Amino acid sequence: MQKVKNKYLGQLKKLQPRGMQSTIMIAFSVISISIMLTLGIVLYVRFSALSRQEIIQTTEKMMEQTGETLEDYLVSMRQISDTVYYNVVKEGEFPDQEREIQSGMNLLYEANGDSLRSIAIYNSSGSLMAAEPVAQQKEDPDITHQDWFQQAMGELENMHFSTPHIQNLFDDGTMRYYWVISLSRAVELMENGESRLGVLLVDMDYSSISRMMNQINESNSGQYYYLCDSNGEIIYHPQQIQIRDGIVKENNAKAAKYKDGVYDETLGRENRKVIANTISYTGWKLVGVIPYSTFTEGMLNIRYFIAMLMLLMAMMLVVINRVVSVRISSPILKLNESVKAYEAGEKPEIYIGGSLEIRHLGHSIQSSYEQIDSLMKKIVLEQNERRKSELDALQSQINPHFLYNTLESITWMIEGERNDDAAFMISQLAKLFRISLSKGSTVITIRDELQHAQSYMNIQKVRYKNTFSVTFDVDPEICSYCTVKLILQPILENAINYGVSGMDDCGEIRVKGRQEGGRVILSVEDNGIGMSEEQVRLLLTDSNRVHKHGSGVGLVNVNNRIQLLFGKEYGLTVESEPDEGTTISICIPAVPYTEENRKILEQGYGFGGEEMIDRENRGNGDEEQS
Amino acid sequence: MKNNHKMFILIEGALAVLVLTLAGVMLSGNTSRNRDKVSVIVQDSDDNQWAAFKYGLQMAAADQEIEMFVVGTEGVMSVEEQESVIEQEIDNGADAVIVQPVPGTDAEAMLKRIENSVPVMLAGSTASLEKEASALPVTEADNYEMGKTLAEEVLKDYGGNLKGKKLGIVTQTSESEAAVNLRNGFESVTEDTGAVTVWAVEGSFGEEDEISLDTLPKVDLVIALDDNSLTAAGAGAAANNLHGAVVYGIGNSTEAVYYVDTGCVECLVVPDAFNVGYQSLTEVAESLRNYFHEAGDRTVSHTVLRRDDLFSKENQELLFTMSQ
Repeated sequence: MQKVKNKYLGQLKKLQPRGMQSTIMIAFSVISISIMLTLGIVLYVRFSALSRQEIIQTTEKMMEQTGETLEDYLVSMRQISDTVYYNVVKEGEFPDQEREIQSGMNLLYEANGDSLRSIAIYNSSGSLMAAEPVAQQKEDPDITHQDWFQQAMGELENMHFSTPHIQNLFDDGTMRYYWVISLSRAVELMENGESRLGVLLVDMDYSSISRMMNQINESNSGQYYYLCDSNGEIIYHPQQIQIRDGIVKENNAKAAKYKDGVYDETLGRENRKVIANTISYTGWKLVGVIPYSTFTEGMLNIRYFIAMLMLLMAMMLVVINRVVSVRISSPILKLNESVKAYEAGEKPEIYIGGSLEIRHLGHSIQSSYEQIDSLMKKIVLEQNERRKSELDALQSQINPHFLYNTLESITWMIEGERNDDAAFMISQLAKLFRISLSKGSTVITIRDELQHAQSYMNIQKVRYKNTFSVTFDVDPEICSYCTVKLILQPILENAINYGVSGMDDCGEIRVKGRQEGGRVILSVEDNGIGMSEEQVRLLLTDSNRVHKHGSGVGLVNVNNRIQLLFGKEYGLTVESEPDEGTTISICIPAVPYTEENRKILEQGYGFGGEEMIDRENRGNGDEEQS
Repeated sequence: MKNNHKMFILIEGALAVLVLTLAGVMLSGNTSRNRDKVSVIVQDSDDNQWAAFKYGLQMAAADQEIEMFVVGTEGVMSVEEQESVIEQEIDNGADAVIVQPVPGTDAEAMLKRIENSVPVMLAGSTASLEKEASALPVTEADNYEMGKTLAEEVLKDYGGNLKGKKLGIVTQTSESEAAVNLRNGFESVTEDTGAVTVWAVEGSFGEEDEISLDTLPKVDLVIALDDNSLTAAGAGAAANNLHGAVVYGIGNSTEAVYYVDTGCVECLVVPDAFNVGYQSLTEVAESLRNYFHEAGDRTVSHTVLRRDDLFSKENQELLFTMSQ
């Protein structure tokens, strides 16, 4: 299971677009094809609705025309009936004027022979009075029981159209049977001077109607038209025998009840539109049936056309999308290539081109790289300076002049039998060197730094025969903070050499230490000759100054070392007034001395001091809480 | 980059193939679909008895969207003649044939040969004398049952007693399955009723050089087992040439109905020829449309017509099909 999952997930991952160009192209293609599909569907639905409407309207028009033709035909039949009645029958009398009546009927029959089967007049008892064309009446056609006769006699005032039936009246010797629609009406006959009731029958040839209906039923699209009477009896249907045999079904009974209009109905499983049109006077219904499949069939070409259009549009869109995606992604890809080349170690020009944003990006990357380069150079420079400073500091630890002078002083003391003084000197020298070395550490506690300064001053005081005094005024709380080693000694050396060495017993050097906020301030004050402003300015900037006296480790070195370890915001400040004295302050962050902090500071992790201070503040906070 | 280009070419190629396919479909859709052609071969095709049959074929052709053609034939055909007509139709592009088999022992073998190239449907009768042994599908009325119905109608008129009644049986052929089964069916009912078959003749009647029924001995009842025989008997009765014999028979032409209408024929059993035509063509259309559809036998109904109810609503519709 897991394997299968991994396999498919793997495949999915493979499918994910890798490049920006393909992502843009896929996104564009999906969006544009979705829009196109939606558009295509909307178009199809709209076309489909229009086409349906068109088909229905065409059908309605055709039905209207056919209805009118049918009505005209039926009106002409009624006119024939009227003419026979009012112009022929009413004008004559049986049997005297039978010949005239016959000839009148003959004229009418000849004029309308195409659509007429026969014209006949029967009296109320069903006896034939006259008929055209003249034919032998069947032996016993049982006229009075035929539907058309009964209808005419039932409602005397109306004309009656029957449903199609076999004419069962005459024997014309052809041995054929005619399918007719009978138009019958009750008439008043004059027989032997008496007015009698009779029936005038006009048999219309069914083929006239079927021909009309066949004409509109010629389409193979599935739609068809049929005719039924007001009771739903089928008069014409293209499949009327199949309906009789139950092979095909029709909703004729339902359709007969429809008023004129368009209806939706279902026959079996087929949905269809049905249009009903009433033929006036007869009450017959001309029904047009449009199965839904006809609409679909009609829409097939439009469907193909829309599909073709969409495919061609898709082809075009893919091309356009590709051009657009290449246009958009090309500058980015070029930029990416140039960045990759830079990363690989080459140093090409960063690509700057394309749109405004990409150009800006290129410029930014280029300037970033330039900044990185200059920073790297700076770091290398600083590291070099640091190494140099440390080397200088190391050299100061073993300043041969200082050692020689001190050892000479000790020798004099021993020679002058000042053994206690000599022992004191040696012990101070030992302390000095112990702290100078500090097991190779650069960072030591302020306590050790002060100790180192005291040892140094003790030795110097002996050498200068106590011509100056030294006082240490240090807040004990700061003793456990970190400091760079050997930063006080060069300042004290300067204070002795340039400040108080020339004074007679009144030279004073004060070493003070305090904490201010998150900083530790160590200061060395002397009441010596002081310096001019120019000298003060050069003191911390001119590293090439030649030292007249001392270890050769200038204040510039001290300042550099402090700033390399703690950051630029720390370091030395010099305040001096000629003939007043000089105060040199060391400002360093208050970082408690722990082995961890020492390592961090020495490795330069806390370059700039920010990380260390944050951690320390937190540490202080923790300590305060505890 | 290279992959993108490949994918682009691939998509464009696939879309182009789709466009071409669709264009092909559109073009093939525009050219009108070739309709299947079915030829119908019956003897004496212009005879009135085929009117309903042909109307049924026409209706089925319209429903099934098939091109149907009734081959014009005259008179009686031999097996060879029928074979040559069928082959000619196949050469002219007929996809299937509907055949009224000519009587004869070779007919079935001939039609079996034809069936190897196009589907064959028989109409009106099987080619073999026994229906069960027929190797070809047939659409017909149940002839045996029709014969029985005819006999039952005769019995009904004589109160079930035909004792001493002389029968004359007329048929166009005795070598077709239809004729054999009709007679068997008829005789299965009348054999124990005491009726005596005085004569049984076969052939074409009524025309000058053919057999004349008035030369045959006098009988009480003339039983005509096909439409031709019935119209001949009807005509004989109309001309009073049957020595007063009452005619019963099987028929499906308006002439046959006319003789019932005029009282020359007492009772007529009418096979539903419309449905013989309609169903045979529907079955053939089915087998043409569906390669795996094997055409089967179809049986149609029959109706009894008498003068009294000749113009009832149902019978009028039967007459309608015959009058087309």
